[in-house]
Amino acid sequence: MNFNMNFKIKIFISALIIFDFFIWNSIIFDGGHKNLQAYFLNVGQGDSELVVLPGNVKILMDGGPNSKILTELSKSLPSTDHYIDLIILSHAEADHFTGLIDVAKRYRIGAFIFNGLNGRGNTWPELLKILKNNNVPIIVLSAGDKIKYLNNRMNFIWPEKNNLPKTTKTLNETALVSILESRMVKILFTGDIGFKTENHLLGKYDLSVDILKVGHHGSKFSTSEEFLKAVDPKISIIEVGKNSYGHPTKEVLNRLASVESKIFRTDKDGLIKIEANGENIKIFKIP
Amino acid sequence: MRIHDIAFYSIFFFLVGVLLASLNLKFLIIILITALLAALILTLHYFHLKPEIDFKKLSFLSLIIVAGALYYFWGNFQMQKSFFAPFDKKISFLGIVSDYPQRGASQKIAVALQAPYKGKILITLKPYPEFNYGDKLNFEGIIKKPEGSYANYLAKNEISAVSVYPKTSLIKTNQGSKIKSVLFSFKEKFVLALQKILPQEEAALASGLTLGERSEFSKNLKDAMSNSGTTHIVALSGYNITVIVSTAAFLFAFYFRKNIAFAMTLIIILGFVLMTGAEASVARAAIMGSVALLGKQIGRIYSFRNAMSVSAFLMILQNPKILAFDIGFQLSFLALMGITYISPAIKDFLKLGKEISQWKEILISTASAQLAVLPILISSFGKFSILSILANVLILWLIPFTMGVGFFTGFIGFFSYSLSQILGWFLHLFLYYELAIINFFGKIAVPLKISFGALGIIIYYTLLILFVVYIKRKVQRRLNQPRHNFAI
Repeated sequence: MNFNMNFKIKIFISALIIFDFFIWNSIIFDGGHKNLQAYFLNVGQGDSELVVLPGNVKILMDGGPNSKILTELSKSLPSTDHYIDLIILSHAEADHFTGLIDVAKRYRIGAFIFNGLNGRGNTWPELLKILKNNNVPIIVLSAGDKIKYLNNRMNFIWPEKNNLPKTTKTLNETALVSILESRMVKILFTGDIGFKTENHLLGKYDLSVDILKVGHHGSKFSTSEEFLKAVDPKISIIEVGKNSYGHPTKEVLNRLASVESKIFRTDKDGLIKIEANGENIKIFKIP
Repeated sequence: MRIHDIAFYSIFFFLVGVLLASLNLKFLIIILITALLAALILTLHYFHLKPEIDFKKLSFLSLIIVAGALYYFWGNFQMQKSFFAPFDKKISFLGIVSDYPQRGASQKIAVALQAPYKGKILITLKPYPEFNYGDKLNFEGIIKKPEGSYANYLAKNEISAVSVYPKTSLIKTNQGSKIKSVLFSFKEKFVLALQKILPQEEAALASGLTLGERSEFSKNLKDAMSNSGTTHIVALSGYNITVIVSTAAFLFAFYFRKNIAFAMTLIIILGFVLMTGAEASVARAAIMGSVALLGKQIGRIYSFRNAMSVSAFLMILQNPKILAFDIGFQLSFLALMGITYISPAIKDFLKLGKEISQWKEILISTASAQLAVLPILISSFGKFSILSILANVLILWLIPFTMGVGFFTGFIGFFSYSLSQILGWFLHLFLYYELAIINFFGKIAVPLKISFGALGIIIYYTLLILFVVYIKRKVQRRLNQPRHNFAI
């Protein structure tokens, strides 16, 4: 191909214009987020949530069972954004952390937070290896710890440090449970906890929130009636995909209906985006 | 008949033999076909139809078909002999990862079995833990024999059997060739450099376009590409080399003197061959591209027909299965032939003259390549949408730029993340547009289920060749002087 000079100059100038556009775009819009956004990612049978605080601080909670999270992240984040401030893993089970391996490979990460209990099997060490290779600080948190940014707080209410089991058959009841508190919205993240932990939390904390991430993909051994009464969520979100456990169970759907909570589920609605500006909460379904 | 003509026809008939054998025809039938053909050609000799063609020699050369078929059968026999392992029985076996692993929803590794068993098998595993080229692994599981077209597909990579999710444990690393280890880790880093700056789908497309690496493609993307008729853009082929050569030459000619630009382009080609793991098809294209470039550089005419037939011959000698079962091989040769032979014919047909705009040039080469590969695309992907031509016209013009910027970006990513991020913005624009087109046409395209059939393919290519020959004759008569074709 023989390109003449005129053409070359045109290409060069167009390139400069595009470049300029990108720079101004990132100067004007970066950090310009005024609203709080929460994304419940459609990762199939597993959990993954992304919270973007006002000021563009990005917190990713759990990563689902496989690399599907990458597609979901690219729907949620601007395409040139490859930085995540915090990753919080509720507990080290495959349907919560496997996707994080792919995330850790491709995104720069500020810090990695988990409950300190290692997962079993030979996939878990792969995640730790990549975090270590990329020099990502690893932080262990438990009940009483807080993450603060401007007017937003993330309060961790479970697990209790001196109450942690040494060995467990299942890590579900050890999951990090947190309440995101801002002036705009309150969200409760429950990981995979069941009745036992729910009952324990009931007496100790004010659990009432706007939005509930329903525990353990809608298992009938989670999300008890008493718990729901205390939480009283306007909106409930079930993160669930094709599975053989019958999730989400009829029982849980009925209990949610009885407290008149609006139910959204990732298997039916796809990626669920919540946007709160202090006056109202908007919900978007992104296929 | 001159010596290079004899060589060309010998190769041609040899390839016909390999093709007939690949179609699963009995050896006796192939002998029969050959005899008939030889007799037919010989008859032409006695009719004195065209005195300038030596039909007697041609008839003799056509007997080489048998040699081609024999070679194919012999290769089959060799492959069967080189494999030994019990099927459908739970066993424990050792193997060394012998190729670049395909990663994605699952991990697929080609493994060379170790004593007491032998041969190459494909093993499907969970995505993690990741295994690498050269890892020595112990497996416990069942080895199965693949069936039908899947068996042919595997055979072109010399794989004889498969095993799904066996219990796997790592014994030792770095048991492969040193050079290959370095090359594959180079490729991995390149792909990762793109993944670090682009959204997932765009990174997948970019690695597909540049290195033909498709394991990260989601099912949605694969379907969209197949429905919109654009899958071929990520098939690794000589087209990649052509694009690299022209992009590099364009960029370097912009800034450097001719000799330096030439040397730098050669280095780029070498780098590419290294990155794709020196696959045969790429190596072939690289040699052809380099020869063409050299021809241009020293001002000698480069005979496209000879270079192409010799490299096809060498590749098929190395592995006779690729002729019938490797779509990448077919697309690469046909597209190149289309660009070389059909596009001048189209230009003459439309009476466009010598000075035509770049956009017309691109449009015509695109159309030529498409015409040449159409039946292959249809028969291998089973469907064809009329709108695919529109989809292709809308994105193909941008593919060379995307490839070029993609290579550059991935390469820069080795040295500086920030710099690659800036380049990534441009790359992102291209890929965003291309994916939008692919997804849009993937949705609206109503694929027609056309089956071309062997007869249809033969008729199609006969018509295509007649068109090219007819136009060429007309032009030759007008100019009354021979015409040379320059490749690349």
